[in-house]
Amino acid sequence: MNSPHDPPVAQTGDHRGQDMRADQLRTQIAMAIFAVLTIAMAVVPSVTGNVSLAFYLMLWVTMASAMNICVGFTGYMPFGFVVFYGVGAYATGICYRILDWPILPSLIAAGVVGVMISLLLAPTLRLKGVYFGIVSLALATIVRLFIANLPDDFTGGSIGLILAKANNPTHSYYAMLVVMAATLATVLWLSTSSLGKALKAIRDDDGAAACIGIHVPNTRLKAWVLAALFPALAGGIEAWYTNVVDPEYAFNVLVTAKSIIYGMAGGFGTILGPVIGTLALLGVDHLIWQKFPVINLLLLGLVIVLLMLFMPRGIVGTLLKRKPQLRRYIA
Amino acid sequence: MTTLVIQGLLNGIILGVLYGLIGVGLNVIFGVLRVVNFAHGEFLVLGAYFAFVLMTALGIGPMVSLPLAFIVFFAVGYALYFVLIPRLSKSDDPETSSLLLMFGVSIMLGAIMLLVFEADARSLQLDIEPVFLMLGGLLIPTVRLIALLIALVMIALLAYFLYKTQVGKALRAIIMNRDAVRIVGINAERLSAVAFGLGIGLAAVTGVLVAMVFPSFSPFMGNDYTLIGFIVIVLGGLGHPIGALVGALLFGITEQVSVVFFNPSIATMLGFGLMVGMIFIKPTGLFGRQALR
Amino acid sequence: MLKINGLQKRFGGLVALAGVSLSVPDRHILGIIGMNGSGKTTLLNCINGLYVPDAGTMEFDGKELGGLPVHEVARLGVGRTFQVPRIFPHLTLLDNLDVSQLQTGRNANERYAQSEYWLHKVELHRLRHNYAEELSGGQQKLLELARIMVAKPKVILLDEPFAGVNPALAQLLIAIIRDIPEQHDCSVVLVSHDLTSIYQLSDHIIVMNEGAILTEGDADKVRNDPAVIEAYLGA
Repeated sequence: MNSPHDPPVAQTGDHRGQDMRADQLRTQIAMAIFAVLTIAMAVVPSVTGNVSLAFYLMLWVTMASAMNICVGFTGYMPFGFVVFYGVGAYATGICYRILDWPILPSLIAAGVVGVMISLLLAPTLRLKGVYFGIVSLALATIVRLFIANLPDDFTGGSIGLILAKANNPTHSYYAMLVVMAATLATVLWLSTSSLGKALKAIRDDDGAAACIGIHVPNTRLKAWVLAALFPALAGGIEAWYTNVVDPEYAFNVLVTAKSIIYGMAGGFGTILGPVIGTLALLGVDHLIWQKFPVINLLLLGLVIVLLMLFMPRGIVGTLLKRKPQLRRYIA
Repeated sequence: MTTLVIQGLLNGIILGVLYGLIGVGLNVIFGVLRVVNFAHGEFLVLGAYFAFVLMTALGIGPMVSLPLAFIVFFAVGYALYFVLIPRLSKSDDPETSSLLLMFGVSIMLGAIMLLVFEADARSLQLDIEPVFLMLGGLLIPTVRLIALLIALVMIALLAYFLYKTQVGKALRAIIMNRDAVRIVGINAERLSAVAFGLGIGLAAVTGVLVAMVFPSFSPFMGNDYTLIGFIVIVLGGLGHPIGALVGALLFGITEQVSVVFFNPSIATMLGFGLMVGMIFIKPTGLFGRQALR
Repeated sequence: MLKINGLQKRFGGLVALAGVSLSVPDRHILGIIGMNGSGKTTLLNCINGLYVPDAGTMEFDGKELGGLPVHEVARLGVGRTFQVPRIFPHLTLLDNLDVSQLQTGRNANERYAQSEYWLHKVELHRLRHNYAEELSGGQQKLLELARIMVAKPKVILLDEPFAGVNPALAQLLIAIIRDIPEQHDCSVVLVSHDLTSIYQLSDHIIVMNEGAILTEGDADKVRNDPAVIEAYLGA
């Protein structure tokens, strides 16, 4: 295996140590930031009774990070992303309300159904760019219409389902915390793992990736399934938190839009980006936009336009472009 | 039953032509600029509101609104091009960037329409005698026939423009090969602005026609029309502005005939399913020479 | 070790390969020259699986390559570089090399050792943390070569490796390529317009024209072949 021209181990030792420590530094910084966020969120309910903002912060951090798995790691922009969220919400609602399962198995069902749908939609991964986006949107619409056409006593029709018996803001809050932590842990793992590197290679040039031995479709599929799991769980937990599965909201294109925009505001190329973007925009939303509900939507659109025109790489991405040396610290 | 099916067929043709106009507008913008105009549907609804305002405030009928809408929105599009588009070419992925940019624009336009016109559905009141025409055993609303005729005239004008005029030929050339056009010395920037203006103008005019044909419209219907427009392009093929028409007819007929047998949402599902199938089987569409990448 | 027999490929009405047969023994450098459009790149694309040939066989170490997906051909030990380097622009140099070894089953330390070795060899080690897009064109070509070599391939297909490379880097490239067969137990198929390098490096040269082999032989034979001079080298 080793030819006489392989380098002696001693020579590589010091560089290896250096480089490993540099990589670890990056990962540790991200881990620290994620840990601080998680702990802060865990503490919120004991500090205030109004946990709504914190709950939705966790929800959107989850959604934006999951979107990052698709966009930042694999290079796909799924415009039908909401389909995972929606089927997760409905799976939980139906299992809990109609089938009378306890809440925990209902949430697990959400995850399972999300994964199943992602496998069903896997053939679309063959498509590229705009084509993929449009088909993704069309398929999400088909799923939405399909559910709308299921018998009303199964899905609650246009009124939706009410999960009143489940009402437990504290437990659902902590469930969301667990899912957010799991999502952050996953993207943290991806940023250092072989799978993550392979995905980035595929994102950069999938033909070249194949030429160096990467099984592109299989690798993409793994990311796709992973990216579907967390929104599905989030949808289920949100349904639990609000007690309502609402067809208008569960499959609303704004869910996809916000996942993309919050992620993009921070920047999709890093794992810190979506978290920072969500914190920034949700913060702005709470401080400013909530006070002007009428033009809230207008401002959201304006932010998207301004972001795309002036800061398409997002906060973190633009920072990295200007100061590449910061790449050592930002995962 | 057969009369219903034929009725569906006829509706499909009428709607198909309208959908075709949407597709042509999108095709011009995407083909020439590689910009995914996600706000196309919103401009369409804006056109409908334009006709509505002209009618309620100034008593101007749709026949006059149509050319006015085109002129006004062409100018708007032309100007908007310079505000929005040139920056996109500098980004890493111009197509996705344009998609997201226009998505933001679509949200803004929807919100603006909501603010100005409120969420209630509006209609364009038309008094046309007779309300229905009998052709064979079939009942056709007169206004739909008129819209169909106008749409066909527009398509003819567009075809003339694209195939017989200098500017039109230049646009078709860009669709086929951007860089070659630059080398030949045509001012691609201004031509692109013309293309954008043309697309937006077409969207607005289609909106007026839609207001004539459908009972009502509201601020957030834009999304659905945008999606239909893309389905039509996919079916007909990129680079074939007129090919979009065939795709649209296919979609319209599928949808309207399905409505006879199923409910509207299933009909929509079938229409969308048709597009998804086409992408997998023949990605270049029925007529296109190159796939959307 | 690589035996190609009667390879044919057409695109619509255009015949890109009209029945090409050649063999590449172990530890051998095969040079391929020919006018643009003579089928050189098509030949490489067929070997590494980007194109499926219409007819003919490609036997590599006893296995038939025809019809295999690209990643499987790569895993069998066939490396390939491109006329315009296809490195991964948003990955660091280290990661570019690391990602090429993922299917070898080595652990992270072993992969790192190989990456470091080759980065030293192509004199890019000090830039190892830079993103690949920051390299010059010539440096990217060197990186591309390093990237396929870290996987310890058995044959590498180099498409115009000297195109757009400044003379200093070209010298380095020539030195590296020259050593590959003996030092790394790997054959090289070299497609190039740079006749000097081809003559310097190749054990055997094939001249292609219009999808077929016009003539072949060692550097002296090819240099003096009247048919080649007429078709390709000029007066």
